Amino acid sequence: MIEPTVTLTHLHRADGSATYTHNGYSIIGAVNGPIEVQRRDELPEEAAIEVNVRPSIGVGSPRERHQETLLHNTLRSIILTRTLPRALIQITLQVRTLPLEDGTTGVNSSLTLLPHLLHTALLALLSASIPMRTTLTAVLIAQPSSPAKNIVPSLLSPSAHDLVRSKPVRAVHVFAFAGDGRMLLNESDGRFSFEEWNEACRMAEVVCCGEEEEEEEEEEEKDGGGVELEAEGEAMDVDAQAQKESLDLWLRSVVRRKVEGEQRWRRAT
Amino acid sequence: MEMATATQTPPALTFPRAVFAAVAPHPFLQAHLSADKKSIRANGRTASEFRTPGINTGSLTHCNGSAVVRLGNTSVVCGVRAEILKEEDIAGTYAYAAHSADQDEEGEEEDDSEEVEGIRLLVPNVELATGSTPSHIPGTAPTTYAQTLITRLRNLLHSTCLLRASNLRILYKPSTNPENPDTEAETQLKGYWVLYLDIFFISIDGNAFDAAWISVLAALRDTLLPHAYFDEEYEGILCSDDSNEAHRLQLRGLPIPSTFAVFEGMREDDDDEDDVDWVLSDPDAFEEGVCRETVSVVVDCQGGKKGTRDLVIRRVEKSGGGVVGREMMAGLVKMSIDRWGVVEGVLSGKT
Repeated sequence: MIEPTVTLTHLHRADGSATYTHNGYSIIGAVNGPIEVQRRDELPEEAAIEVNVRPSIGVGSPRERHQETLLHNTLRSIILTRTLPRALIQITLQVRTLPLEDGTTGVNSSLTLLPHLLHTALLALLSASIPMRTTLTAVLIAQPSSPAKNIVPSLLSPSAHDLVRSKPVRAVHVFAFAGDGRMLLNESDGRFSFEEWNEACRMAEVVCCGEEEEEEEEEEEKDGGGVELEAEGEAMDVDAQAQKESLDLWLRSVVRRKVEGEQRWRRAT
Repeated sequence: MEMATATQTPPALTFPRAVFAAVAPHPFLQAHLSADKKSIRANGRTASEFRTPGINTGSLTHCNGSAVVRLGNTSVVCGVRAEILKEEDIAGTYAYAAHSADQDEEGEEEDDSEEVEGIRLLVPNVELATGSTPSHIPGTAPTTYAQTLITRLRNLLHSTCLLRASNLRILYKPSTNPENPDTEAETQLKGYWVLYLDIFFISIDGNAFDAAWISVLAALRDTLLPHAYFDEEYEGILCSDDSNEAHRLQLRGLPIPSTFAVFEGMREDDDDEDDVDWVLSDPDAFEEGVCRETVSVVVDCQGGKKGTRDLVIRRVEKSGGGVVGREMMAGLVKMSIDRWGVVEGVLSGKT
């Protein structure tokens, strides 16, 4: 899996911003907040969250409203909205580029875009220093339909090109996991059994959260060694590739770079 | 007498039920759920109890098919209107390949999703009546809520491939082949039926999506398309008056959604190990107001198999929180499969 590339805080008028590029998708995210809220939307006990998704071509349609609803529901569960009552957190996501094959994958294109939107929103929120309960990582999993008996393995975070090549795709799943390992969002579409869903979910969990062993050192000390070894063996079966890279580690590296940049003035002396 | 009451502790502040619900909806529902082992909700149902839908079809005379669905106090009307899209008016560059449409038997399904989706043969629309729900302000542009509903319905219509393109095509086979009179003429595509699915909410008391989808299903099963044919002399498409020639739509499967809301109770203190999260089936409007996480599972068990290895799930949507994980989802899928049987029974008029 290729790591996404990120540029943080590059828009100087917004409180926080991020540009995210992965698999041919490129999205600019900007966050303003906490700012004043319209009287109509004001919530007495918590911050209101507004998400605007703007497509790469044309103006927003019901499809974007649905994506906004999903993002809103997911982000509301991780932002500490109760610490900012009667305020507004405004998140704007502009899709900049889509892969060329996006329209011809035969897969619902709002699902393929969703993990990227989630990541961009999270990075922009991190850049704006909005207080959050936990982080979030998301991944797309596609299941090509298998002819007869030979089972085709599921594709992990496939690019649009991969999807076109493995047509027809029987099921696609989008999973988002919180930093503490809870499943925050799931959108699955197609035709699949519960066992397949369960397997896809397990695969996504490994990619998103990584294995305990790969966590920071202090986390490692908390858990017993025996459990870890077992978990590691399991991961090898699922996907040896995923073992190396987890989105959680990627997110940590992005934040580490951000913090290092912010602390430069102290180290320069 | 006065002295006696003064020494006792002052009576706790009490509210009538309706006031408690309005002032503190979250503690109100939690008090209900935690009062009893069986977790009875404020509306009298148990946590896993669905509302049985009431379905009435064919009540609108000017539609090709219609249905009124009631799910408790949620009532929704769906009307299907079929209009003819002439071949020359088709947008884009879709070319009909004259493959034999008879191949469309079970087992050898043709992939016509691009045809139905690309030419937009299905046009769902959701409208909320004035006063259907307090949050709806009449006279404004469709709200995010309505637009989200439309998108979810449209996605499900297309991802389940519910409609067969062969039902919607208007074909014409010339009686003689002008090029070679000895061979049979090739079948030509002259137009399509476009189905406008208008979903009108009379009132919403939670779970709008399930009610809307059941009404769409019932209306589509009720839809009768007149026999349309290309008239050689008129050089246009005509419809036959004879109701015996009209045909019904052959739907692919019977996907039925079940929606759950997750109620996250307040813990008394952090060490409280008690389970204070409840999964509520088929939430009503009050419960939707206090629940943040929702799960929607669409299953189709028409093949008769209901095991965990069978391809019964058509869609899973979950957002808003992290209570439902992998283990809990197994239970929800099982409940959805049970729910499928109930709704299927009502749809086919068995119960």
